[in-house]
Amino acid sequence: MDMNEPMLLLSSWVGQIGDVGLDLLWRFIHLVVSLCHVVSGIFEAIESYVISLGLIQKYNSIDFEKLRCLAVVVDIEVARDISKVIELLQWLATIGVKQVGLFDSQGLLKKSKDMILEIVPGSVLLPDTGEKNFSPGQNRIAIEFISSSDNKEAVVKAANILLEKYLKSSHPENDKGEDFFTESHLNEALTVVGDNVHVPDLLLVYGPVRSHLGFPAWRLRYAEIVHMGSLKYMRYGSLLKAIYKFTGVRQNYGKSFIFHYYT
Amino acid sequence: MNTRDEVGEFTQIFIALMGLMRRFIFRILCVGPIPNHISFIMDGNRRFAKKHKLKGLDAGHRAGFVSVTYILQYCKEIGVPYVTIYAFAVDNFRREAQEVKCMMDLMLEKVELSIDQANSGYLKGVRVIFAGDMNSINEPLRVAAQRLMEVTKDNRGLTVVVCVAYSTSHEIVHAVRESCLRKCDNGDGPLVLEVSDVEECMYTTIAPDPDLLIRTGGRNRLSNFMTWQTSGSLLHTTAALWPELGLWHMVWAILKFQRMQNYLQKKQKLD
Repeated sequence: MDMNEPMLLLSSWVGQIGDVGLDLLWRFIHLVVSLCHVVSGIFEAIESYVISLGLIQKYNSIDFEKLRCLAVVVDIEVARDISKVIELLQWLATIGVKQVGLFDSQGLLKKSKDMILEIVPGSVLLPDTGEKNFSPGQNRIAIEFISSSDNKEAVVKAANILLEKYLKSSHPENDKGEDFFTESHLNEALTVVGDNVHVPDLLLVYGPVRSHLGFPAWRLRYAEIVHMGSLKYMRYGSLLKAIYKFTGVRQNYGKSFIFHYYT
Repeated sequence: MNTRDEVGEFTQIFIALMGLMRRFIFRILCVGPIPNHISFIMDGNRRFAKKHKLKGLDAGHRAGFVSVTYILQYCKEIGVPYVTIYAFAVDNFRREAQEVKCMMDLMLEKVELSIDQANSGYLKGVRVIFAGDMNSINEPLRVAAQRLMEVTKDNRGLTVVVCVAYSTSHEIVHAVRESCLRKCDNGDGPLVLEVSDVEECMYTTIAPDPDLLIRTGGRNRLSNFMTWQTSGSLLHTTAALWPELGLWHMVWAILKFQRMQNYLQKKQKLD
């Protein structure tokens, strides 16, 4: 018994030293990874600056035929910083984007939509009510405000519309609902709910993480998702590059792209 | 001892050393949080075949299957409980009939191989589940898939969800239909659906939402895969084609996940 105690103590110490060693190694690896991100961030910032000065010719002309609708996903914390979102919308209008969906999961941008529409020149709410007057030559940009309630809850609302229709219809007892619950029926019901109006081609994600944060799943299916980094440090050159790269993308199937801006 | 035996022995020693190194790397990785569920969009098999001038319509997909076995082994060693792989999309049925047949035949071959391995005890600790519109695949494959699910249903360890004839749109439509029919059949309660009713009927309901989604092939879209389930997932793209995906790509993806895990957890709590 006396022999076992020192052995147990020794193996416990060895185990603890091993754990500390592994922990240090893990932290060291993450330090190296963070340094890599910092270095690549510096290169991206330099490239973005060069692009925004117009020194790289190819980014000065963008073919917007492919980009029918753009969406921007904004992280919840950054949504409170509306001024950066307004600046981004102004950039998009300048570049020539005609239609943009603004998404934040908590719906804070929806609550500020009147202010945003007032401040961003040439902006209209999607669907366009035609009430605003625009000066000639002004870039127009139609904005749709989207939140998480337009994701799963919208699908469930659409499902309830279909359920109601099914209940009102006369169908056989063992019917499996294949004539009532199809993709086209769900598309129609989602349009009634107001969710399927504009399917974005490109999703820009502004945030610390490359994640769509709950953007409507039905609209996200074939979207090209691009992580743009923090909204706080957004760059005009990066925006131009992302849109330019998108116009060069080829899809094997499916229709649209989504840019993913993470804040 | 002749040269061939020496080479064989060196190879075995080399493989053993590589295995030790890999386990050591995973041991370091496991100091931090490990994803509970990783999903893979296995893109790039055909480009791999073209790049390496491989002959045969299924050559790229055969190379892709080898990659599947390695990646699942890595996930098991790291301790990831759930892995989902996007094996065959509903959209893939639009490819040429001959290619679709090749892919179906290959899947049948590999499923039957897996059944043999499971019966021989080589798949202990791996449970396989097929998710998707199984009625749209041919009967031999459907029966084989059912058999593999049956043979591995009591295994615990790594749960592998293989998405076949799957797409998010198909899944949502199916879930809406099933949940509506269930509501009608269930006489009690109001005839109004909730989000949970629809989610219960999804193909992938067996697994929690993915923490990390890895797409190979350099493309930046989800291609109609798990868009419903990935609200809180880190979406990671690698330029490597699926058959090229290896240990270091996995390590890099998990390191990225570990860097962002606090933010993702905070986001999930807020939601």
